[in-house]
Amino acid sequence: MSSEPQAVTIVMVEDDEGHARLIEKNIRRAGVNNEIIPFTDGTSALEYMLGADGSGEASARRHLLVLLDLNLPDMTGVDILAKVKANRHTRRSPVVILTTTDDQREIQRCYDLGANVYITKPVNYESFANAIRQLGLFFSVMQIPETD
Amino acid sequence: MPTSNVSFIRSTLALLGAGLLILIVVAGSSVWLSERTRENAADVQEAQSIRTRTSRVLALLLDAETGQRGFLLTQDPRYLEPYEVARRQIGPDIERLKQLEHAEPEQEKLLDELSGTVSDKFAELDRTIALAQAGNVAAAIDLVKSNRGRESMDAARKTLSNLLARADIRLRADTEDMTGGARYLSFATIAGASLVFVFGLGSLFIVVRYTRDLVRARTEVQTLNETLEERVQERTTDLARANEEIQRFAYIVSHDLRAPLVNILGFTSELETAIATVDRYFDELPAETTNAAAEEAKLTVKEDMPEAIGFIRASSTRMDGLINAILKLSREGRRTLKPERVDFGEMLDLLAANIQHQVSEAGGEIAIIRPLPTLISDRLALEQIFGNLLDNAVKYRDPYRPLRITIRAVEQGRRVGFEIGDNGRGVAKEDHQRIFDLFRRSGAQDRPGEGIGLAHVRALVRRLGGDITLESELGVGTTFRVSLPRVLRKQEETVDS
Repeated sequence: MSSEPQAVTIVMVEDDEGHARLIEKNIRRAGVNNEIIPFTDGTSALEYMLGADGSGEASARRHLLVLLDLNLPDMTGVDILAKVKANRHTRRSPVVILTTTDDQREIQRCYDLGANVYITKPVNYESFANAIRQLGLFFSVMQIPETD
Repeated sequence: MPTSNVSFIRSTLALLGAGLLILIVVAGSSVWLSERTRENAADVQEAQSIRTRTSRVLALLLDAETGQRGFLLTQDPRYLEPYEVARRQIGPDIERLKQLEHAEPEQEKLLDELSGTVSDKFAELDRTIALAQAGNVAAAIDLVKSNRGRESMDAARKTLSNLLARADIRLRADTEDMTGGARYLSFATIAGASLVFVFGLGSLFIVVRYTRDLVRARTEVQTLNETLEERVQERTTDLARANEEIQRFAYIVSHDLRAPLVNILGFTSELETAIATVDRYFDELPAETTNAAAEEAKLTVKEDMPEAIGFIRASSTRMDGLINAILKLSREGRRTLKPERVDFGEMLDLLAANIQHQVSEAGGEIAIIRPLPTLISDRLALEQIFGNLLDNAVKYRDPYRPLRITIRAVEQGRRVGFEIGDNGRGVAKEDHQRIFDLFRRSGAQDRPGEGIGLAHVRALVRRLGGDITLESELGVGTTFRVSLPRVLRKQEETVDS
């Protein structure tokens, strides 16, 4: 990853621990060694990103990249996306939607809300691993802005 | 209780008929009674006229006698005037009485008697007057004194009073008859009128009740009509919602089933990679270091584990296929249909061209019988329906005879029926319904497939507002009948998130 003064943190919101593990494994295989912080529910992920008070002050001057699943037990990923993109501090952080849903309307909605990338998880594992590895390679060349 | 139609008509007609009958009777008796009254009146008049004339005859007789007495006393011819008048008039009066009384013999006898008496009287009177005129007054008075005149006068009085009494009796009887008739007439009229009034009231009551029933029934029908539209709308909305729910259910289930499947397949691959590592380790292990346990482990890694992984992967892949099929069906159900003009001749030619290669290879042919209609429907759905049916015909052909597929259209009013017939291996009777179910297949399972095609076809046909049936005989062939509306009803916007 780029030699930023502060390393980029990957926030992974994924309720299926198996998926989370497979995603992490494949990102690592692409040579990405950044810290990955996994969350299995939306509430704790939001608390980390926007702080306990929800102001987003907690993320000031952090470099965040969000990997987001849409099907979560406590809220939908769309809600998280909307909150992250609406917050002054986190709105520039890239958000990658990684989910099983490939409904056109859902995809449009996510991009409308400011999602940067939308990827449908392939069920076939070869494709899945391949997609994640390519995503990892993409991460390694990406410039991540510092949050305000 | 509402009055029924038939009983209403019957009772009303019966009452009206009875009323009419009574009216006829009343009218008839009125005519009869007035006729009788008229006759009675004539009788009364006649009786009165007899009475008057009888009295006149008596008066004339008295006049005549008075004239004679006056003349005998005074010999003044002026006193003879009433006598002369009476003498002139009495004859015709008696004749008139005879005419009036001609019907009754007893009266006639009395009148004959009267005529005789009157002639006697006048004969006496004439003689006395003649004697007096001749100057022989004393002889005339002697004649008067002989009482002959008085006797005939008494006889005449008696006869006349007899006649009067009889006339009175007749007059009384006629008057009574007339009063009775009038009484009968008014009684009959009042009774008839009352009955007619009662029947009229009865009819009126029935008509009013019937009308009230009618009005109530009409109000009910009106209310039903008004709410019908609403209820149809409600039911349609309910159905649409239920359908929507099923679609969403299928969609959510298949999505949630996919997530664990990703794990199974993913970790199977991870396991495979791990096994490959161990496998490599065993391969690189020097041969002399092996022992029995190592040999067993090597065998497990090289054979048992890859076999197990193979089964896991095959099953997972199959499950993935099934889930995808459900997903596809549910997604097809959610797709918004776009009605457009679809020329079936053109479309079927295109679909036939797609399978022409396989058909020719099997030495078969496709016959598309024209004319074919043009429908307003969803092109993609139609292509999938007919493409699937044609694929099936090729897929399940009988290898022992050249394939022949026939497509024709049958007019069905506002719908069009299509028949896709083949001479393939056919479908057993007990499977005619089952093959439309998801994941169900019929006959020998010697062709690749998931049992999705016909389920998909039926779902599509039904979405287009049509229906599909089949007719088939095992070993002879199958004919699918697809019935479709000419114009696809414009879809309501699906309530979708």
